[in-house]
Amino acid sequence: MSRNVRRQAGLWAATLVLLVFILAPIVWMLDSSFQGETELLTRPSHLIPEEPTIANFNYIFTGAIPQGQAVRGTLRSRISQEARSIPAALENSAIVALTVALVNVALGVLAAYTFARLNFKGKAVFFNFLLGSRLLPAIAVAIPYYAIVSALNLLDTYLGLILVYLTFTLPFTIWFLRDYILGLPVDVEEAAQIDGCGRLQLLLRIVLPLAAPGLVAAGAFAFMSSYNEFLFALLLTQTIGSQTLPVVLTSVATNPDASLALIATSVVLAIGPPLVFAVVFQRFLTRGLVAALGKS
Amino acid sequence: MVDVRADVPRRPSEGRVSPGRQESRYAYLTLLPVLVIMAAFSLYPIGYSVYLSLHKEVLTDPLNHPFVGFRNFANALGSYYLSASLLSTVEFMVMAVPSVLIFGLLSSLLLNEVFAGARILRIAILLPWAMPAVVSGIVWRWMLNGDYGVVNSVLYQLGIIHSYVPWLSQPALARISLVIAHVWREGPLVAIFFLAGLQTIPADLYSASAVDGAGPIAAFRRITLPLLRPTLVIVLIYETIVAATTFDLVYVMTGGGPADATSLISWFAYAEVFKFLDLGTGAALAFLIAVALVVVIVFYLTVLRSQERN
Repeated sequence: MSRNVRRQAGLWAATLVLLVFILAPIVWMLDSSFQGETELLTRPSHLIPEEPTIANFNYIFTGAIPQGQAVRGTLRSRISQEARSIPAALENSAIVALTVALVNVALGVLAAYTFARLNFKGKAVFFNFLLGSRLLPAIAVAIPYYAIVSALNLLDTYLGLILVYLTFTLPFTIWFLRDYILGLPVDVEEAAQIDGCGRLQLLLRIVLPLAAPGLVAAGAFAFMSSYNEFLFALLLTQTIGSQTLPVVLTSVATNPDASLALIATSVVLAIGPPLVFAVVFQRFLTRGLVAALGKS
Repeated sequence: MVDVRADVPRRPSEGRVSPGRQESRYAYLTLLPVLVIMAAFSLYPIGYSVYLSLHKEVLTDPLNHPFVGFRNFANALGSYYLSASLLSTVEFMVMAVPSVLIFGLLSSLLLNEVFAGARILRIAILLPWAMPAVVSGIVWRWMLNGDYGVVNSVLYQLGIIHSYVPWLSQPALARISLVIAHVWREGPLVAIFFLAGLQTIPADLYSASAVDGAGPIAAFRRITLPLLRPTLVIVLIYETIVAATTFDLVYVMTGGGPADATSLISWFAYAEVFKFLDLGTGAALAFLIAVALVVVIVFYLTVLRSQERN
């Protein structure tokens, strides 16, 4: 028995180490967001805040300058004004990512069903073209994408970002959902077809309910990729009218005069939605990830 | 030529789907939106990049676009900064890819165990992947801060270091810091990939080897590793591409510094285009990067095939 106990102890020790590595950065951000700037700039760091404060959150939402910054003895206080754009960026990111997820799933399932169940000329060519188009490295298409979005007059708009993110997410969704639909039993569809049901009706009435878990996985995946994308968001947006979280976060963090407390608070606000999302959709995401691997 | 008509004629009711005209129309209609979007954003960019790379396109000189042949490629290839950033990229890959793979493999072995801890880990491990890559850079930049960073503080209090370490302002340490942040974000994904691979290995193989008296290490070498090989190869290729094109982390964590120590190739291409506004050379560089990646992938696959033959 003692061998089994030792084994369990080893497993839990390893789990603890891994959990600390994964969670410590997140916990420390949360911790930092409740400390004042002066408290953060001490040695050694206060792992538990001695004077916990919500002043940082207060500043981001109301603009009231935190006490910690005001009393510092330097000539001017460190402050990251960009942090005040975080709520607006949250809204931008949410709008863009949700729209991408919905449109992506709607267009994706339409195409995926066609690829899974219909025979038509050019099927293989179209399918391979879709999959192949994703192999272009992002940095290689950055300039042309900028040119296209600029020519369409969509720079600094939600629509510009949404279009670009659709092109990133659609190939995977179509591939993933096609596989999913291929795995569904075909006899119900055949029976309905004999009863005179058209293709679109088949898709809407019979396939959609059965494929719902797949749709959720594909949508969650598209949401995450759009919410997290940085390079194209940086290139295609210019003002807070459309800047998404990664862009605003980066400008908060790379400001040479940045306040560490406000950086931490901005990060906490930014990662809330994807973390909740990841926990809620854990199974779907894991399944999507595994499928993504099989594809590449 | 094969005479198609010689085939046995099909009855209309035969087969699940009769390729009737109506069906084809439905098929094309449903694919149209997707194909239009994808063509606009893949065929056109390729053509436009070819055009750009062969012309002088410097935004500070907007009216002058002569055809310059391969001069942009020569510019890109001849630049001192290209060789420097290629070297940095290779150094980063050599550290980052094995680190990520080993981290992922060890974590996946733990995740694959049957105990309550594995269930907690399966949720926790998604978290770093779920947040933007720039967040990983920002978080680690703050944690590794040379003056007030919490990593320094904890290591100092534990007596492991005797003075605060300037993680991000020394070239060698900055590279290591970048690798740590990279592993934090990318490793969990690899762990999930490997877990999927591990779950396809039949449990009887392990019980059989245990009956034969093989210890856990022998079982790992003789059963786990060989059967995990297909997953390993795909993950290796995927992670090589990810490491070679790392951009977000560099942008936010080090800005390519100190002294260009972390100026990876994607960062260099970005700087070429958006700081020096030279689209022509930028497009040429983008081509070179894409080609280099294909070469790496083909190299992996060739090595793999030749190993399989032996």
